[in-house]
Order: sequence, then structure tokens, then C-alpha cells
Amino acid sequence: MRPQLPTLDLVPLYPLLVVTGWAVLVLLADLFVQHKRALGYLALTGVIVAAVVTVALWPGVPTSFQNMAISDGQALFFNLVFLVTGALGLLVAIEYLERKDLQRGEYYALLMFSLAGMIAMAAAEDLLIVFLGLEMMSVALYVLSGSNQRDMSSIEAAMKYFILGSFASAFFLYGIALTYAAAGSTNLAQIGSWLSGRGIPKDPVALTGLSLLLVGFGFKVALVPFHWWTPDVYQGAPTSVTAFMSVGAKAAGFATLTRVLYSAFSPTFTTDWVTVAAVLAAVTMTFGNLAALVQRDVKRLLGYSSIAHAGYVLVGIAAASPVGVRGMLFYILAYAFMTAGAFAVACAVERREQSTTTLADYAGLAQRSPLLAAAMLLFMLSLIGIPPLIGFWSKLFVFRAAVEANLAWLAVLGVLNSALSAYYYAGVVVQMYLREPGRSPAEEVAFRPWRSALAVAVFLAAAATVVLGLWPGAVVNLLMGV
Amino acid sequence: MAIPLSWWLTVAAALFAIGLYGVLSRRNAIGVLLGIELMLNAANINLVAFWRFITPQALTGQVFAIFVIGIAAAEAAAGLAIIISAYRRRRTVVVDELDTMRW
Amino acid sequence: MNFPFLTLITFIPLLGAVVVALIPGRREREIKLVAVLFSVPSLVLSLIAWLLYAQNAGEIKFLEEATWIPTLNAYYRVGVDGISLPLVFLTTLLTTLSLFYSSYTIKKRVKEFFALFLLLETGMIGVFVALDLVLFYIFWEVGLVPMFLLIGIWGQPQDRPQYSAIKFFLYTLVGSVAMLLAFIAIYMTTGTWNILQIPGLKPLAGNPGLAIAAFWAIFLAFAIKVPSWPFHTWLPDAHTAAPTAGSVVLAGVLLKLGGYGMIRILLPFFPDLFKQFAPWIGVLALISMIYGALVSMAQWDLKRLIAYSSVSHMGFFMLGLVAAAASLEVANPVLTSRAIALNGAVLQMFNHGIITGGLFFLVGVIYERTHTRDLKAFGGLSAKMPVYYGVMLTTALASLGLPGLAGFISEFMVFRGAFALIPTYAIIGVVAIVLGAAYILWKIVQHVFLGEFSEERWQEIFNPAHWHFSLDMARFEVITMAPLLFFMVLVGIYPAPVLNVINAATTALLAML
Repeated sequence: MRPQLPTLDLVPLYPLLVVTGWAVLVLLADLFVQHKRALGYLALTGVIVAAVVTVALWPGVPTSFQNMAISDGQALFFNLVFLVTGALGLLVAIEYLERKDLQRGEYYALLMFSLAGMIAMAAAEDLLIVFLGLEMMSVALYVLSGSNQRDMSSIEAAMKYFILGSFASAFFLYGIALTYAAAGSTNLAQIGSWLSGRGIPKDPVALTGLSLLLVGFGFKVALVPFHWWTPDVYQGAPTSVTAFMSVGAKAAGFATLTRVLYSAFSPTFTTDWVTVAAVLAAVTMTFGNLAALVQRDVKRLLGYSSIAHAGYVLVGIAAASPVGVRGMLFYILAYAFMTAGAFAVACAVERREQSTTTLADYAGLAQRSPLLAAAMLLFMLSLIGIPPLIGFWSKLFVFRAAVEANLAWLAVLGVLNSALSAYYYAGVVVQMYLREPGRSPAEEVAFRPWRSALAVAVFLAAAATVVLGLWPGAVVNLLMGV
Repeated sequence: MAIPLSWWLTVAAALFAIGLYGVLSRRNAIGVLLGIELMLNAANINLVAFWRFITPQALTGQVFAIFVIGIAAAEAAAGLAIIISAYRRRRTVVVDELDTMRW
Repeated sequence: MNFPFLTLITFIPLLGAVVVALIPGRREREIKLVAVLFSVPSLVLSLIAWLLYAQNAGEIKFLEEATWIPTLNAYYRVGVDGISLPLVFLTTLLTTLSLFYSSYTIKKRVKEFFALFLLLETGMIGVFVALDLVLFYIFWEVGLVPMFLLIGIWGQPQDRPQYSAIKFFLYTLVGSVAMLLAFIAIYMTTGTWNILQIPGLKPLAGNPGLAIAAFWAIFLAFAIKVPSWPFHTWLPDAHTAAPTAGSVVLAGVLLKLGGYGMIRILLPFFPDLFKQFAPWIGVLALISMIYGALVSMAQWDLKRLIAYSSVSHMGFFMLGLVAAAASLEVANPVLTSRAIALNGAVLQMFNHGIITGGLFFLVGVIYERTHTRDLKAFGGLSAKMPVYYGVMLTTALASLGLPGLAGFISEFMVFRGAFALIPTYAIIGVVAIVLGAAYILWKIVQHVFLGEFSEERWQEIFNPAHWHFSLDMARFEVITMAPLLFFMVLVGIYPAPVLNVINAATTALLAML
């Protein structure tokens, strides 16, 4: 028998290939380019090219690459979220690294590699690709977290992130192995048809596999009780890294989680994971908000807030309906702009010798730097869920999905949580607007619109928060095709 | 000649448990790293065993295991680099002593 | 009627806020001028709209509709009737006066103040004109943040402005999220956000438990805003801490958002439940009336006194509303009593806005001169500031309900309706009128204007070096008060123009229940 060469249809992987190739390009250019800042812009170009490719693939192509990857609407939408996050992360980093004297070429290359990992996760149709993407993303992020070698908390963050991240990967892999045992395949669609096609009671092996996978995901997207690494890592990592990973890693985790739950463990196991997801969502948002109430460090506060938001996203997943998925997708996009924007502001406020910012650093920001304060105000209000900002719609969509899915209690809890979260977000606003400046304006990094990459990032995020808040239909229409 | 599947699974589960114990109890970062490697390899044993006993006609399990070995190596390299940089800075690899951040 | 009255009225202030934000912060004179000028078109347009509407009052007019978020079935849908139009006018009037007044008194962070105030105006008007629940909710929240900042930034330092601002913010937010959940539940059963259609669709009729929960959730949001006892505790702090113009708009307009919501949403959506719970809500109204008046009487801080009097006066509004809701019969005499009670309630909102807005301006007059609001520090000012005395006396008497001035008409109508429909409540409620007379005459008139004038004490609190206008009411203060006095007298002696408009809408509303 002649060995058959498999036909490899690479079309769905184009965005991935562009990003990976470009990352290698950045790495090579690092050898020759003296102005490392230029590498940032080179990487940014790559991200934009990848975004163009992604848009060109819309509304998606069928499964290919040996049934291992798919670029359907959902994957492409996630690609856009990642690329937007990547672009914001790069814009922030170009400025931030300069100020911190950390300007290095490999930073940009690593960021692009982790972006590639995220894209792979969203496109994965096979647990192998899921694992590959997960590790590609995570390893790059571990290193990025520790990229400020002079700062002990950065190294500490990298260490904690690495240990807990690989710990989670081990659980995840064990879960994959058990799922493979139960279904005889690692292809998500095949697992799905096998598990629901047998007409027998639930396979305990598959159930164990599902639980272990959920533990792994729980670590990656920081669900309570698997969240404890998050505040330390978000606080310790260089702020530009936090801006990128707080959104990217979480979005990628949810992209895969949705895929695994909806296509591999559905419909036989739906009731099981719906219960688990609903409970995890309830615990996660409540705990995240409660813990955030007492924080004095803004990065840490945003870290806990991001835990809470993971809970809201999970509400959309727990709804187990197309409406829920669309709500979740919208939420993640909103979260990307709000959180990356808020961390970008944190970058701007941070002084050269600091590695983080306390609430006191924001005192009187409205008078020192009105535009920066106004942008942060928008992000905070949007995170609370005040209309007509994008965060309001995202919450409305997921809570509506929950009510429709007979999870009204979850929606009520979510809404109460939003009110609770208002307290600490308003605390930031109080500092910025109601307190007198604690330090002289000269100390502030001059925030000149259109003169710095950081300003562009803040402006883009703020503009998206407002514009998509006024016309959420633009995104919703896109999602209807997903 | 044939060792039954359950034996393989028991060994894998035991390895996983030992690794888990190592991660949770070791204070030395290198020890923690070793524990994680044990856990990953426990999963590898599972993957290969399941391939052999459940789907011998498709190579999925084998291929997966090879990928995992590669990935684990990359992960260990990155992890060791982080540990070394922590050591350079702090002269310690004891995880508990890395505690600058508290709430 | 193709001229987009309401859109212009609502969004010209927003445009003004943007323009103000673009002016460099150093050019304070230009900022003040631009801000005042941008508030005028809305005032003029709302007056024109009122006059046009009055020609044949009745149903909703100036309707504008556009699809906004198709997948959510949310529309940009605005319109007004005789209930909302007076409130829109009240908003534009008080905002213009507040901006004018503030252009003389605001010294710090001028640009932010005027930009936020104009943004606030958009939010407030939006609530009154929105006819889509999503739009309503959005405007409801839009006003929240500017008010929060107005209290927090420009509040007097000794009144704990930050604490008051956060308290105001959280109270309102808790109420509004509850309301949002109820709205979602209503949308689930009716499939529309249209405020005009939902009553006909009997929202949540099939699920009594959920309907009751939704009713109370919405009630909570509005009761916090009104505010009704026991949800009123944010109000004294917020009113006291806010700068003068902030207090004026807070008392004059923001409280009306809650009252308007009860009439426009709560009553038509759930008439049966409102009837069922009317005894309880009536008790809340009575407690608000009497408790507010009693606490008012115990205050020695002039601003706090007026703040508590608002609790009492908005209790009158709630009593009128309860009277109208307590009986759903449409037999003619009953309907008339209900209409009278509801007319009184709506008019009470309008009057309270005019009168209490004026009172807060007048507190500002004395506070700007002396930097104290302690009633014990004053006394005998009638000779020193005769014009101020006259204006204050008129406004205060309007507030206590002297016949011939605005307050009397609405209170009389509320009680006329209540005596016919819920007599026990009405009899108890009369106590509040008596108490109202007591705190106004005894506390305000007696302590500030009558009694001994002590030169020594006056020297202590008044520093001429800090005040550049005349000792008695300065011209800008008189100009600010003049329109308010005009409406107090006009409504007091010839309420027909206002009442006709209100009556047409309330009758239509009651007939629909």
C-alpha cells in the first residue's frame, strides 16, 4: 500500500500563520535593528495584516487541516478580539517599555507568539491543537510576566504564573487523556457524536475527563476557586503585559471552553456542566467583587475585577444557548476594550521607579491630566455597567440569556454584583475627580493626544467603549452571523 | 505477555498523584517543577496506553504523547529560566520566600 | 409635526457639553457664556412645545421613532404628553437658571462644572421624553454620574461631599439595577420595550409571583429617587453637600424622575397590583409626609431643613398618586376624584420643583455671603436685606401652601382627591400641612428674618472682602428668582394653563387603566 499524503488545507490557519511568521520575522529583525521601538511597530503591522486576513475570511470556512482546525464565525470573532487586544498591548508596550528602560525586541516577538497561541486555541477543533495553542500562549506569557528583570515582583509574578499555569496544564492534559479514553478520539466533533450517540448512561470516565478539563480551564481563565494566582500575577507583571494578558489569555480560555463544552460535551453532559458553570459563575463574580472592595493597589483591584468579569462571562456560557454564546462573545469584546483600556491608563499613571500604582497615585488625576482621567472614568463606568457604554450591553445580553435559560437567580445575583462592584470602581473615580492632586503635574507623564502610542491605545479603547455603547447593533449584527 | 490496561492506568494515576503531592508540598521551585513533569508524564502514559488498547488503528494517542513531550521540554526550559532569574536576584529558589505581594 | 422638537431639546445641551469641553479651561468667561447660551434653546423649544401641545391636549405628541438596536427590538422612541411636558419645561427652566446663577458663583474647575451640568440636563430631559424602556433606563443612568461628580467636587468641604456623593450614587444604582431586572422580565413576556404598548399587553399577567417581584423592584428604584421613607437617607446628605445649583436641580428635577416613573411606568404597567398595594404605599407616603416635616422642624441647618421638607412634600405627591390608584372604578364621580388626585400629584411635582428650587437658590444667597447655614447665626435680617426677605417670604409661603400661591393649588387637589377616595389617609395627612406651616414660619421666617439683629454676630459671619455684590440680593440673584416667582404666582392664581395640559393627559391615562 502506498502511503497516502494527507491533503492539508491551510486556509483556516492563515491568520495563525501570518502571526507566527511575523513573530519569527520580529525575532530575526531584532538581530539587526538598533531601535527596538521600531520592532514594536513592525509587530503592530503584523497584527494589522492578520486582522485584514481574518476579515477577508469572514464569514468563515469549513473545518479543514485534517479536521483539526476550523475558522468559523466564532473563531474569527475571537481572532479579532485577540488582535485588537494585541494591537492595544503593543501600543501600550512601545511607550511603557521605553519609559521603564525595558525596550527589547523579544518582548514583541513573545507577545506575537502568545497571540498565535490564542488564535490556535480559538481555531482548534481537536484537543491536540487546543493543548498546543494553550501552551504556546502560556509559555510566552510566563516569560513576558518576568520581563522586568530588575523588579522582584515581576520575577515573582512569572514564577507564580509558571508554577500554577503548568500545574493547570497537567490537569488539563490528564483530562484530555481521559476524554480520549472515553471517546476514542481527540477531535471535538467526533467526541461529541460518540458521547451522545451511544445511548447509554453517562460515561464516568468522560465525566472525570470533563471535570479535569474544567479544572484546567478554571485556572486559565481564573475562576474561583482556581483564581489565587491572578491578583499576584496581574500586580507583579509589567503593566503593559498585564494589559495584554488580562484580556487575551482569558478570552482564549473562554474561546476553547465554549468549543469544548458546546461541541464535545453536548448534549449528553449539558445538564452537568450547566450546573457547574452556573455555580462557578455565581461564586466567581461574588468573590471577585468582594475581594476587590478592599484593594488599595489599582492593578490588583483590576485583577480581582477581572475575576468577577470572568464570572459574568461564564453566565453567558451557562445559559447553553445561541443567545448565551452571542452574549458571551459580546461580553468578551467589551471586556477587552474596558480592561485593556484601564490597564493602559494604569501604565500612563505609573511612575518610572514604580512597578504598580496605588489608589493614591490617581488622586486628582482629573486636574493633572483631564483626558486620561476622562478615559479612565469611561472604563470604570463601563465596567460597572452604566449605559450607554459598551459594558452595559454586555451585561444586559448575558443576563437576558440567563433569564431565558431559566437561570433567573443567576441574573439576579449578577445584577446585585454589578451594584456591589460600583463601590470600588467609584472609588477610583473618587480619587481621580474628588481628591486634590497628591503630586505635582510635572511628575506626570505628559499625556499628549496623538503624540504617544499609549495615548492612541487609550483613545481607541475609550472610543470603542463609547461608540459601540451607542451602536451595539454593529457588533450584534456581526454576531448574528456567528 | 499483555499487561492489562488497568495496570497502566494505575501506574499513571499513581504518578499523577505523586507529582501532585510534590507540587503541593515542595518548597523548592526545582522540586515543584519535577512534580509538574511527573504529572505531565502520567498523562502521557495514559495517552499511549489508551492508544494501544482503545484505538490502535489511529495514531492519535502516540502523536499526542510526542507533542506533549516536546511541549513539556519547552515549558521546563522557560520555567528553569524564570527560576534562574529569581535565583540571581534573590539568591533563593524557595517558593515561600517569594512573597513581596500580599493583600 | 415633523420638527424634531424633543430630540433637539434633549441633545442641544449635550452638544453644549461637548463644545464647553473643547474650550480651553483658562477661558472661564467664554465657558460660562457658552454654557448658558446652549441651555437656552431647549428652554425656548420646550416652551413652544408646551404652547403647541396646549392647543389640543390629550394623547402623546411630538412622537419620534427610529430603529436603534434591531436584534434587541430597542427603538429610539420619544414623545411627550401633558404629564411629561411640564416636567420637561421645569427641567430646562431650572437648568438655565442654575447655569446662569452658577456663572457668578462657581470659582473652581469651571469647565468641568458647566460641561457636566449640561450633560446632566440631557440625562434628565431624556428620562421625561423616552418612550422605550431601554432608552428610559439609559437616560436614567446618564444623569447619575454628572450629579455624583457635581456633589463630590463642588460640595462644601464641611459637608462630607465624597461620602454624600457615593451614597447618592450607590442608592440610585441599587434601585436602578433592580428596575433593569424587572424591565428584562417584562420584555420576556411582552416582547417589546414600548412604554405605550406594554400596559395593553398586561405584562407578567401569567405569573403573579414574578409580577409582584417586578412591581416592587420598579417601585424601589422610583421610591429611592422620590424619595420615600425609608429610602430617603441619601437625600439630606446629598442636598446639603451639593453646590447651590446642584441642590436646585437635585430637588427640582431629579426627585421628579422617580415620581414621573411611578406615573408613567409603575401605574399603567401594574394597575391591579398598585391598587392591591396602595394601602402600604399610602402608609409610606404618610410617614414620608409627617416624618419629613418633623425632622425638618428639628434642623438647625437651613439647607438640611429644606432637604427634609422635600421628603415631606414629595410625600404629598405620593398620597395623590395612591388616591388615584386605590380605586380602579371608572364610575363618573370616582373617576373625577381620581383625576383630581392625579392632577394634584403631577402639579405638586411641578410646583415643588419651582418652589424648592427657589428655596435652594435662596439658601445659596445667604450662604454665599456668610458661609454658614446655621439658623442660630442669623436673625433680624429683614431690615438688613429687605428684598431678600420679600422673596424668601413669598417662596416660603408658597411652600407651606398659602392660598394664592402655587403650593396651595396642588396640595388642595391632592387632598380633595384623597378625602373622597382614601379619607383615613387624608385626615392623617393633614397633620403634615400643619407641621409644614410650623417649620417654615418658626424656623425660616422667625430665625432668619425676625428677632434681634446682632451686629456683633453679623460681623463674625459676614466678611465684605469676600463678597463683591450688594448686600441685599444682587441683580443676578433677582434675575434668577424672578421666573420662579412668576410661576409661583401664576399657578397660584390662574392654574388653568398648566392644569389643562396635565388634566388631558391624566384623564387619558386613567381611562386606559
